[in-house]
Amino acid sequence: MMVGAATFHTAMAEIVVGSMVLATLCAVGCSMSRILPSSEINNESLMVTMDRASLAGSVLALIFLPIAILSGNVAADGQAESALLYNKFVYSGLALGFWSAFVIGRIRMGPGLWEERPLAILQSTTAGFAFLMTSMASSIGGKLVRGESLFDVFPFWLPTETAAILPLWASVSLLILGITSSALVFRFTLPKISRIE
Amino acid sequence: MKRNAVVVLICITLILAPGSSVANPGGNGDGNRDYSCGGSCHGDPALSMPSDATIEITLGNEAFSGQAVAIHVTIDDISTPSQIVGIFILGSLNGNSDTPEDHGWHLIQDPNGGSSNYIETKVSSSGSVTVTWVLLSPESSGSHTLYAEIHHGSYAGDKAFSGVSEPFEVNVQDVPEGLPGLADDWVAPSFRVSGDSSPLSISTRNSTDITVEWMLDGEWNPTTAELVCKEDSEDVCNDWEVSIPATMGEANILYRVITFNGTFSIEQPWLKMGTAPPPFEGEVWSARAHSFAFALLIISFLVTLQARLYPPNQRDDMDQTQIVASSEMIRSEENPGWLWNPDTQEWVEDPDYEGGN
Repeated sequence: MMVGAATFHTAMAEIVVGSMVLATLCAVGCSMSRILPSSEINNESLMVTMDRASLAGSVLALIFLPIAILSGNVAADGQAESALLYNKFVYSGLALGFWSAFVIGRIRMGPGLWEERPLAILQSTTAGFAFLMTSMASSIGGKLVRGESLFDVFPFWLPTETAAILPLWASVSLLILGITSSALVFRFTLPKISRIE
Repeated sequence: MKRNAVVVLICITLILAPGSSVANPGGNGDGNRDYSCGGSCHGDPALSMPSDATIEITLGNEAFSGQAVAIHVTIDDISTPSQIVGIFILGSLNGNSDTPEDHGWHLIQDPNGGSSNYIETKVSSSGSVTVTWVLLSPESSGSHTLYAEIHHGSYAGDKAFSGVSEPFEVNVQDVPEGLPGLADDWVAPSFRVSGDSSPLSISTRNSTDITVEWMLDGEWNPTTAELVCKEDSEDVCNDWEVSIPATMGEANILYRVITFNGTFSIEQPWLKMGTAPPPFEGEVWSARAHSFAFALLIISFLVTLQARLYPPNQRDDMDQTQIVASSEMIRSEENPGWLWNPDTQEWVEDPDYEGGN
């Protein structure tokens, strides 16, 4: 039995979105937990649970996100024939970037990062943006398949029907810049970050 | 207890929320469909109600076999919240093989510029709308029946409304020999790309000459277009190229072909041609590169920000730990308390040395 690329892509996207909802809620919860005073509900056990849930959710999503992107590529028949599809590519890339940074930060710094307020805010903001980008990409999927999306009810939203198209040479230049900056950051900056005790 | 009740209430609300949009209130889009979409909500007696609207079919011109004819469908007194109405032109009401094409007709153009027997349009605030299909009549002369059907929603949102016209008899007459008309296999283009001024190809039959008049949608005075015959024949010419000006934005052009042959002068129905936006110029490889570039740039930026916000005291601790943990220093039994660093060729103090105890 074979499953169509579009069906497979939908299943993968649902896993990604579900995991990311959990990861985002728990990441924001971890930040809130450190801002709000301790109480019967806001205790260390809840903090540890949310931290682990956000890590598990984001790692799971990060594993399935490339599969969702690749299956989406196959489902789109290797075409970017509309602004919606072009934007789906771009938002998927942004989601991948935000989630990767979230996971890198959490794994390198450990649960101790939530004890440092600036890092905790950065981490939960990263999760928030990552979720926003993932939601945009999946919302475009709904627009393409059903012609409507749950986000249609919001009066303001990020652009989806118009795209800032880059010529191939500009995209490739941007990619080279991205590869170079990542290499530099991984070589020189990342070793400065370690587990916070 | 109160918290549980709130959670249960939220869950119930979420479950019931999609209920109001089970149907397709925005319509299904234009297409070729049988009566009641072959058994949709609108055709299900348990889910539908008869519409109060009145539906009337009229003929735009006399019908000759194989010749173009305009079929006007007028709907009055329709009551629909979204003002969207789906209109069918049908050859029968069986629920299958109902399209006019199944009954010998050929669709030249639907009211939206395409070539479908089902279209969706908006009604005016007074609840009326008139739409026109242009069809080629069946080759067989005699009486042919057409129906018009409508689908729309209700204010209560719980019923799918449906209405069908009385059968409309079209008396298709035998075509006189040599009667000029549009070619059987020609389909009127539904749109041109914005700014495209390339000539429009029109195929006819039995025509010695044609005239094409055009005007913008909403205007009343047509302009005669320049045209050239693409054939070398001296008598009959059936392939024409017509120069109609380019349109921009959302402008629609209406045009009419008048075909001539000897004493015959046949005015074909008005046809509509919309304006489409230019084709999307994005490339898939550009989108892929763009996407991965953004991913890598975001990672670089955020990891740099993480390093910037990393607490300084932790950085100092990390530096000492790292020296021992990450280096490949050699512990020597001859020099207790000291480690040999082969990279710098120096002895360094062993932080783990506890004085030989």
